[in-house]
Amino acid sequence: MPRVTMATLPDYARYLFAAAQGAASLFPVKQTVRLPGLEMTAHLSPGPLADALGQAFIEAGDDRSDARQLRIFIGHPGIGDLPEPAHWGDGHFTEHGFARTLAEAGLRGHHFHDLDFWQFYDPDRLAGVQLMRSAEAFPPWEPGSPLRAFLHWEYAARGMRLAHAGTLGLDGKGVLLAGAGGAGKSGTVVAGLLHGLDSVGDDYVLIDLDGGVSARPLFSTLKQDPKGFARLGLKHRLGTDGPLNWQGKHTFHIEAIAPKPVPASLDIFALMVPHIGGGETSSIMPMSRRDAMIALAPSGIAQMPGERESGFRFFSDLTRLLPCYRLSLGPHPEEIAGTLAHFLARVA
Amino acid sequence: MHRFDVYAVASRDIVFESFDGEAVVLDLSNGKYFGFSDSGSAVWRALSSGVGTKALIGSAAGAAAIDAAALESFVAQLVELGLLAPSDATPQPLPDDFPAVLAAAKEPLNVSVHDDLADLIIVDPIHEVEEPLGWPAVKQAS
Repeated sequence: MPRVTMATLPDYARYLFAAAQGAASLFPVKQTVRLPGLEMTAHLSPGPLADALGQAFIEAGDDRSDARQLRIFIGHPGIGDLPEPAHWGDGHFTEHGFARTLAEAGLRGHHFHDLDFWQFYDPDRLAGVQLMRSAEAFPPWEPGSPLRAFLHWEYAARGMRLAHAGTLGLDGKGVLLAGAGGAGKSGTVVAGLLHGLDSVGDDYVLIDLDGGVSARPLFSTLKQDPKGFARLGLKHRLGTDGPLNWQGKHTFHIEAIAPKPVPASLDIFALMVPHIGGGETSSIMPMSRRDAMIALAPSGIAQMPGERESGFRFFSDLTRLLPCYRLSLGPHPEEIAGTLAHFLARVA
Repeated sequence: MHRFDVYAVASRDIVFESFDGEAVVLDLSNGKYFGFSDSGSAVWRALSSGVGTKALIGSAAGAAAIDAAALESFVAQLVELGLLAPSDATPQPLPDDFPAVLAAAKEPLNVSVHDDLADLIIVDPIHEVEEPLGWPAVKQAS
């Protein structure tokens, strides 16, 4: 079993690219997903990842003439001559050092050591490879937002960014909801959707700063812990038949609760940081951009491999472009949605 | 008085941005964020530009004056956090607007550390330090 070190990392990445290209015609499944400015074609095996690719995305329906073609090979031993994934060697490993070593070679990558799970991306060739021990040997978070690392690398190369943030909007105008897990971000998105607001997604949305801040949908997956699921009335509406995800949360798709089709884009007018307020009603108060930046950037940067400094610069620019508010959440979903609808009607 | 007068940003992994005059610093190597108070931001901006501590202390008077002991403590904290390191460079001139910025500041010298998610970045998932085994002890894949 080969072992990879920082010194051999770029060579290992190139070796996997060559192995995947050599087996290109032998992948049993080919699936194409249409995303903003991008057509991502994945070559893989049948199974849960292929199922996730068919369900987890909100496909773009706009003009495809400028879409770039991205190819991702999702492989494991048994497809052609694809090798067993290597182990990491004995050298010290840090995410930052790993990403920097690859970036110096013009590449991007991620390694999840427990599963010997590797992802490499070549932004010049728009090609990626994901090597696993078997068709199902992927991290448990992967099906909720499959191949998000590749999308992160490709969009970052174009000056855009996947933000770990929720969105709510009205008539094409929207707010970005940022904050650490448990702050009420996802519950706020669901509350808004259930009471007439739009969203282009929770967890990961595509942000573009060209000509103002806009958010576009990528993933359709929404999540709620069982308590929030019940509080928001989803238990009655959607049932509880499905298994909980790796975080013990219910997962469902935005189309299941959205009152209208998901908009292609929202023009973002404010950055909001929700928190459970403790009062009977919700309120929106200005907050400093410094504090909003500290609420927005860490999870978005930590959850996406590499591109750390460019992410810090991007989220800084984003924060400076928007007024920032602290959203104190009341206990009633309809009242939360009404507060946000009123805000959007007033400021947007 | 300080042992050193001039400091510099400790490494290329220390990156920072300003938001309405308030600084946020990220240590790329470990994912820790640092939020500076308004007066702390002014001092960070000056120190990270190579302005000497002596110039900072002598820059303003009255309510806007920087207390030498407070500055020494603040600088020591920034060095301890790995954000600044002593430098042999020639001190740079104080920014013209520094006294006015300091006079307008409402908060004492302060930096807050935000490392809730730092472990997601700095954890070494391959090795774990175990006292009996020393470093590195290869983590057994589960």
